[in-house]
Amino acid sequence: MIASSHSADQKVYEIAKLTNEVKEMRSAFVDKRGKLMQLKKESFVEAEMKIKGIGISLNPPTKIIVKSQQQ
Amino acid sequence: MAVTEKNILNRLYFVAGCMFVFVLAVVFKLVSIQFIQGDEYRALAEKRTIEDFDIPANRGNVYSADGSLLATSIPKYDIRIDAVQAKDATFEKYIGALADSLHVYKGKPVSYYKNIIRRARKNKNRYFLLARNISYSDYIRMRNFPLLNLGAIKGGLIVEQTTRREHPMGGIAERTIGYERQDENGNFTRPGIDGAFGVKYLQGTNGKRRKQKIGNGQWKPITDYDQVEPQDGYDVYTTIDVNIQDIAHHSLLKQLEIYEADHGCVVVMDVKTGEIKAISNLGRNKKGGYYERLNYAVGESHEPGSTFKVMAMMAALEDKVIDTSTVVDTKKGRKSFYGRVITDSGNGYGEISAARALEVSSNIGMATIIDEHYSKQPEKFLDRLSSWRLDKTLGVAIIGEGKPDIPKPGASNWSRNALPSMAYGYNLRMTPLQTLAFYNAIANEGELIKPRFLKAVKSFDKDIEVFKKEVLVEKICSDQTLSEIQDILKNVVIRGTGRRMYSETFSMAGKTGTARTDYANYEKWRKDKKYVSSFAGYFPADNPKYSCIVVIHQPSTKVGFYGADVSGPVFKRIAQKIYTDTPIIDEVETLDFKDNLVNEEFESYFENARKYKALMPSVVGMPVMDAIALLENLEIGVKVELKGNGVVKNQSVEKHQKLQTNQTIVLVAS
Repeated sequence: MIASSHSADQKVYEIAKLTNEVKEMRSAFVDKRGKLMQLKKESFVEAEMKIKGIGISLNPPTKIIVKSQQQ
Repeated sequence: MAVTEKNILNRLYFVAGCMFVFVLAVVFKLVSIQFIQGDEYRALAEKRTIEDFDIPANRGNVYSADGSLLATSIPKYDIRIDAVQAKDATFEKYIGALADSLHVYKGKPVSYYKNIIRRARKNKNRYFLLARNISYSDYIRMRNFPLLNLGAIKGGLIVEQTTRREHPMGGIAERTIGYERQDENGNFTRPGIDGAFGVKYLQGTNGKRRKQKIGNGQWKPITDYDQVEPQDGYDVYTTIDVNIQDIAHHSLLKQLEIYEADHGCVVVMDVKTGEIKAISNLGRNKKGGYYERLNYAVGESHEPGSTFKVMAMMAALEDKVIDTSTVVDTKKGRKSFYGRVITDSGNGYGEISAARALEVSSNIGMATIIDEHYSKQPEKFLDRLSSWRLDKTLGVAIIGEGKPDIPKPGASNWSRNALPSMAYGYNLRMTPLQTLAFYNAIANEGELIKPRFLKAVKSFDKDIEVFKKEVLVEKICSDQTLSEIQDILKNVVIRGTGRRMYSETFSMAGKTGTARTDYANYEKWRKDKKYVSSFAGYFPADNPKYSCIVVIHQPSTKVGFYGADVSGPVFKRIAQKIYTDTPIIDEVETLDFKDNLVNEEFESYFENARKYKALMPSVVGMPVMDAIALLENLEIGVKVELKGNGVVKNQSVEKHQKLQTNQTIVLVAS
């Protein structure tokens, strides 16, 4: 009875610890995700590449699709 | 002796008697605690060690159309210090190191932190703020700073955790994504999507669980189930496209900065579905910077100016009171209506067609058309506008949509001049979003759709609710009127007021607008001219994909104020972005092309490569690329030096000579 009660208590401590870990991970995830989203924004890339003299293309890329012979 | 013995016995009886009474008292008290007051105490004990805990439901996330996070809840921490708690010796020992750590973390000088913490200790501040609203990883870092790492009792560390709403995209579309905030009186402010759908979808319901105290500040659940299960909020998927939003935000910001305008907004809408792809609202702060201040696009109802001429023209075309070639006299730029003079910019356009009057945005032209044909029957014109729902709100999800105001005869703002004024967009009010919805209907073959911000509400992968397009008016006008107005809007950009925006590579259609604002006191207005510059339209001109409106309030007239110059570039940048993002697709039947010249060259190269192992081949006449590849792939390793480029003219080693390992061959090409 006493032993099982203690083991249950231990579980509670462990859960509290893991909950904190989840919080940390989540916080880190959102933090990094936010940074990534800032980095991949076109306006950011545009400003970064301007230094190197690269600008936005005035023409869209051309995609060449080869029609499959089998069909 | 007997006397003594009896004395002792008496005393013994006395003591025993006392003890018996004492025992009785104890038993009585025990019984009374256990049975008489028992229930009361048992309840009290339970209250101290057993408590019902709220299990907070996780608020749902807000996502963009492609699944990027726009708003989410994460734990944030406030770190404070009880400056009095630490003993003198401990405090003195660690204060320097703590100040140093704070300096590394936050940047201000070491002496600054030393001073403020010392002052806090002197003032007996038991709740001194060190850092507010920091992330979990920063909290872990701060917790290990000297003094703070001693904990609450020895060091005086105080940590408060709150859950805050974060926008990983930063300031972009902040007002539309929105938030929910409660002030100290319990009143909520709920702007944007987060606000509008907070109660219904995002917030979820809190659960309850009964727990027992077990020490270390921890509580143990009594049962292995929750008394009330928490229900997490649903996730909301918006229609916002992060890439278009980014471009819209930054190009609007750029124009606002150039023109030092007060505020502005831009909205991009998908023509076929009514999904809002981007919405940006920027207002100027006192220092001249811009931030998402209010949702102008949804909430601000203002005089639209020339963008409304399109509605007036369409009404006249649809009622067949004019056609596009009807001649209208715009005089020399000045004309009086009921004693009030209406002017055009420049010196007027003389006699022009109705279509041309709209292309050059002639106030006189439009006022003349509407006044001539509707002054005796203003209801006919107003009914037409009403059938397009221009006098009603769109009923969008975001709270606080501005109400349109289109005056009717008998209203306080109705006069004989009201009708000609309305023809060029004055004396009536609409929000940018309402104007955009109408232009979108022109692009969408006459189908008026309600702009919407939401795609779906989900719980993990399960759809809770999916939002479909809502048609407000099936067909606003005949196909003939539609194609006529589409042609005019196309020509505005080609040869009308929008010609400075024209691009050879991609097409746009739309209407400029330059309206006076704040002109009630004309003298005051004349000294400090204030305009609203706008551009509404769609792109590409044929088979439109997106409609868009840009409205910029009070640009500095020293820099410029015409709609095409102020707002046009934002529109153009977005149109260009979408044009350059859509690949041109070329389809080819097969990759097996037979080209004789290529084949011959390849054959001779291949033969050379097989033939020459240690002898020098003739590479004169070969392209440099092939010559180097051939020489460097000989069995003997040689070094090739190249002068010039193009076709090889000269080789330093004669052909058929035997080559040495590491020999240098110089090729001259031109």
